[in-house]
Amino acid sequence: MGNLLVDERDVEFVLHEQLCVEDLCKTEKYKDFTKQDFDMVIEEARKLAVNVLLPTREKGDREGCKYENGKVTVPECFHEAFRLYKEGGWITPTEDPEIGGQGLPFTIFAPIEEYCAAANGALGGYAMLTHGAAKLIEIYGTEEQKKKYMERMYSGEWAGTMCLTEPGAGSDVGATKTIAKKNEDGTYTIMGTKSFITAGEHNLTKNIIHPVLARIQGAPPGTKGISLFLVPKIRVNEDGSLGEDNDVFCSGIEHKLGINGSATTTLNFGDNGRCIGELLGGENEGMKIMFHMMNEARLGVGLQSLGQASSAYLNAVAYAKERLQGASIMSMKDPNAPQVPIINHPDVRRMLLWMKSYVEGMRAFAYYIAYCEDKEVTAKDENEREKYADYIALFTPVCKAFFSDMSFYIIKEAIQVYGGYGYCSEYPVEQLLRDNKIASLYEGANGIQALDLVARKLGMKKGGVLMNFLTDMNSFIEANKSNETLKSYIEGFEKAKNSLAEVSMHFGQIARGPDFIIPIINAYPYLEVFGMVALGWMLLWQATIADKKLKEIMAKEGALDQESIRKLISGNKDAAFYSGKIAAAKFYANTVLPTVISKVRAIKSGDKSVVEIAEESFAS
Amino acid sequence: MNVVVCVKQVPDTESAIKVKPDGSGIIKDDLKYVMNPYDEYGIEEALRIKEKFGGVVTILCMGPGRAVETIRTGLAMGADQAVQLDDPAFEGGDAFATAKTLAEALKGIEYDLIFCGKQAIDDDLAQVGASLAELLRLPQVSLIQKLEIADDKKSATVHRQVEGGIEILKVSLPAVLTTQKGLNEPRYASLPGIMKAKKKPLDVKNLAALGLSSDSVGCAGSKSIITKYTPPPPRAAGKIIEGEGPQETVPKLVKLLREEAKMI
Ligand SMILES: Cc1cc2nc3c(=O)[nH]c(=O)nc-3n(C[C@H](O)[C@H](O)[C@H](O)COP(=O)(O)OP(=O)(O)OC[C@H]3O[C@@H](n4cnc5c(N)ncnc54)[C@H](O)[C@@H]3O)c2cc1C
Ligand SMILES: Cc1cc2nc3c(=O)[nH]c(=O)nc-3n(C[C@H](O)[C@H](O)[C@H](O)COP(=O)(O)OP(=O)(O)OC[C@H]3O[C@@H](n4cnc5c(N)ncnc54)[C@H](O)[C@@H]3O)c2cc1C
Repeated sequence: MGNLLVDERDVEFVLHEQLCVEDLCKTEKYKDFTKQDFDMVIEEARKLAVNVLLPTREKGDREGCKYENGKVTVPECFHEAFRLYKEGGWITPTEDPEIGGQGLPFTIFAPIEEYCAAANGALGGYAMLTHGAAKLIEIYGTEEQKKKYMERMYSGEWAGTMCLTEPGAGSDVGATKTIAKKNEDGTYTIMGTKSFITAGEHNLTKNIIHPVLARIQGAPPGTKGISLFLVPKIRVNEDGSLGEDNDVFCSGIEHKLGINGSATTTLNFGDNGRCIGELLGGENEGMKIMFHMMNEARLGVGLQSLGQASSAYLNAVAYAKERLQGASIMSMKDPNAPQVPIINHPDVRRMLLWMKSYVEGMRAFAYYIAYCEDKEVTAKDENEREKYADYIALFTPVCKAFFSDMSFYIIKEAIQVYGGYGYCSEYPVEQLLRDNKIASLYEGANGIQALDLVARKLGMKKGGVLMNFLTDMNSFIEANKSNETLKSYIEGFEKAKNSLAEVSMHFGQIARGPDFIIPIINAYPYLEVFGMVALGWMLLWQATIADKKLKEIMAKEGALDQESIRKLISGNKDAAFYSGKIAAAKFYANTVLPTVISKVRAIKSGDKSVVEIAEESFAS
Repeated sequence: MNVVVCVKQVPDTESAIKVKPDGSGIIKDDLKYVMNPYDEYGIEEALRIKEKFGGVVTILCMGPGRAVETIRTGLAMGADQAVQLDDPAFEGGDAFATAKTLAEALKGIEYDLIFCGKQAIDDDLAQVGASLAELLRLPQVSLIQKLEIADDKKSATVHRQVEGGIEILKVSLPAVLTTQKGLNEPRYASLPGIMKAKKKPLDVKNLAALGLSSDSVGCAGSKSIITKYTPPPPRAAGKIIEGEGPQETVPKLVKLLREEAKMI
C-alpha cells in the first residue's frame, strides 16, 4: 500500500476510467493540457500532502494556537508548510493564468484538495479561505481592489477570511448587527463583533483581508439589507505598502474539540471607531456575493470530509492487516488455533467494506460535482451550461451535509476497527474524528443544508433540475440492466432511485397543503436518501467499468474458474482493484440501498411527533 | 556555469519488486517509477548554482519512453532543458555501458560541472559516476555533502563524508560529483514549474544520433552480465524473550547477544 491518505489508484480510476477527464482537453478552455499534465500535478500534490502537510497534522493538534494580547500564534510547523504550499502555487490551480493561476480543470483540483485535507484539514483552512476571499474580489471587485488585494492574496502573501457569524447571528445570517457608516470619501466605518472567524488573526501572513457582512445604516431588515465590505487588518497605502492598523482587534480564540491548529477567533471591528472598510459590489448585495464564497466553501467542506474519511479508512485497513487478535472463525473449536490478523474476521471486514463503499462513492460523487463545474464552463450551448450549473446548486447541500456526517461515521468505524487503540492519541484516527466534527457545523449547519435542499433546490425550475438528475440515472439503468454480472444490483439501485423519485414527488404534492410541515420535518432524512442514491449511482457506474476491465484481464490471463480468478487477484494489482470495486458496489446495493426504501417509507408515514411533542415533554 | 545532471528513473521504493519466475529479470507491469532520490540532490544543487552564477541546467537521462515523466519532474523543479537517450539498444546495460552512452551524449552538451547520484536505488551499483569521470578524463569526487564553487568558477571545495569524519577536497572544474543525502533539501516542483516544463526543450536521441554502434552499448556493450535474479530470502522471524520484567529478560538478552549473535 502506498500513502495512507488517499488511494492513488482510485483517484486514477475516477478521473480517467470513469469521468474520462482527458476529454476535457478537447475543449478550447483546456486545450493546452494533456493527461500527463494532470497526472504530474496530482503526483506533486500527493508529495506535498505526504511530505510537507502530513508531518504537521499531529504536531499542529498538540501545539494548537496561542492567544496573547490580541495576537494569535499558529503552530510553529505551519509556517514552513504554508510557505511551501503558497510558493508551489497551490492556492490557485484553477485560476486564470492571466492572474497568476494555472487554469487547471476543477476536476483536477478535487483530488488536490482531497489530498491536502486528508493530510491536514486545520492547515488547509488558511489557504482555502484565502482563496475564497480572493475569488470574491476577482468576481465582484473593482480593478483597484483587485490590484490592491486580490493578487497578494492569490499569491499567499496575505490571507483572507469570511466574516458572517456573530454571537446573535449564526444560522440566521439575516440577524447581522455589524454596522457600516458611509464616510465622505466613499469608504465605510465598520462597527461590530464577529465570532467563530476562522483564521481571523494569525502570524502566517503580514496582512489579513476580511470580507465582512454588515448593515449599512438605514438598510432594510433581514438578508436584503446586508452588504459586504473588505476590511484589511492593516490598512494598505496607495503605493501598496502597509499603513497603520485598521482597528480590528482579536479579543480571543475558542478552545475546541478539534482543528486545534486552526485559529477560531472573535474579532472586534471598530472598538475605537477607526475601522475602515471598502464596499465590495453594490450596496445590499452582500448575501448574494457572499453566497459565492459559501458555495465554494461548502463543496470544500465536502472534499475536506472525504479526505479525512479516506485517511481514516486507509489507516484502518493497514491496521487490520497487522493486528493479531483472535483465531479464525473457521477454527473456532481449536483452542490452539493461532491468532490471525483481524482483517480475517467477518465483522471487521463488514466495517471495512462499508467504509470502502462510502469513501469511494463519495470520492466519485465529489469529483463528479467538480466535473460538472468543468462541463459548465466548457458547455457547447446555454442548455448544457444551465444543466450543469443547476446540478452544482442541487448537489452542493448534499456534498456538504451528507459527506460531513458520513465521514464522521466512517472515522468512528475506523476507531472501532482499531479497538481500544483507536481511542488513544497514539494512533491518528482519534484526531481525525475530532478534526472532522466541525464539518457538519460550519458553512451552514447540516440541518440548514437539508432545508436548502428541500425548500430551495428541489423546486428549482419546477422540479426540472431533479428530473434531469433522475433522467441521467434512468439512462444509466437502461444502458446497463442487461449486464449479466451486475443485473440484480442494478435492479436494486433502480428501486432505490424510484423511491427517491417517489418521495420527491410526494413532497411536491404536499408542499402547499396542510402537510407542508412533513418535508420540513424530514428535510434531513430526505437529504440522506438523496445522498445514498447518488452514491449508489456512482458505485454501480464504477462497477460496470470495473466488470468490463476485470473480464478483459481474466480473458487475457486465461483465468476462468474461481480458483484461478482468486490467484489472479492475489498477483495482479489491477485485477485486485477492479474486483474490489465490484465488491463495494455489490455490498452497497445489497445492504445499503434497501434501507433507502425503508427510510422513504418512514418519511411517507407522515409522522409529526417532532412538532407535536410539547417542549415540556422533552426532559423533566 | 552550465551544469549537467545525470538522472535515472527507478522503481518507487514503495513498489513491491517481484522477480520473474525464470529469474531473467523483474516484473515491471505493476511498478510505479520515480526519479532516483539521489539525483534530486544533484538537480537542487545545480539549480542553486544557476541561481548564484547563472547558466544552463541540463538533465541527461538514459531511459525508455516512460522516463519522460521523470525528466519532466526535473524540468518542473527548474532545470532548463533535457536530453533523453532512448533506444532499445541501450537496454540492459551495466554501469560501464551506461557511462559510455552518457559520455557520448555529453560531447554535444556544454558543461562546467556534472552531477550524478551517488548510486541508483534500483541496482545500487554506484559506479556510473566514477566510470563517467574516467571516460571523460575528468576529476571525480563521490558522496559529496557540501559544495562551494570558487569565485573564478575554475575550482570547487567539496566536503565528502568518510568514516568517522569529513574529508575536504579542492577539485578543478569541470568535474564529476556524485551527490548524496545531506547536500541540500531538494525543492518540490511548483504548479507554475510543471506548466513551464511543458515548453522546455527535450531532445530525444537514439543510437544513430549518438553515432555509437549497437555492440558498444546496452547489454551487448556491457562488461558484466547478470545471469540470474533471485529474491532475497524471507527474513527469519524475530525472537521474543519471555520472562517476568527486565530483571529476568535483560540477562537473557545479554546472553543471547553474546553467545548466539556474538555481537558483544
Ligand atoms: C471552528 C469553527 C469555525 C468557524 N468558522 C467560521 C468562519 O470562518 N466564518 C464565519 O462566519 N463563521 C464561522 N463559524 C460559525 C459557523 O458557521 C456557525 O457556528 C454555524 O453557522 C452555526 O451557527 P451557530 O453556531 O450560531 O448555531 P445556531 O445557529 O445556534 O444553530 C444551532 C442548531 O440549531 C439549528 N438551527 C438554527 N436555526 C435553524 C432554523 N432556522 N431551522 C432549523 N434549524 C435551525 C442548526 O442547524 C443547529 O443544529 C465557525 C464555527 C466554528 C465552530
Ligand atoms: C480508555 C480505555 C479504558 C479501558 N479500561 C480497561 C479496564 O479497566 N480493564 C481492562 O481489562 N481493559 C480495559 N480496556 C481495554 C479494552 O477492554 C480493550 O481495548 C477492548 O477489549 C478491545 O481490545 P483491543 O483494544 O485489544 O482491540 P482488538 O481486540 O485488537 O480489536 C480490534 C478490532 O478487531 C475486532 N476483533 C478482534 N477479535 C475479533 C474476533 N475474534 N472476531 C471479530 N472481531 C474481532 C474487534 O471487534 C475490534 O473491532 C480499556 C481500553 C480503553 C481504550
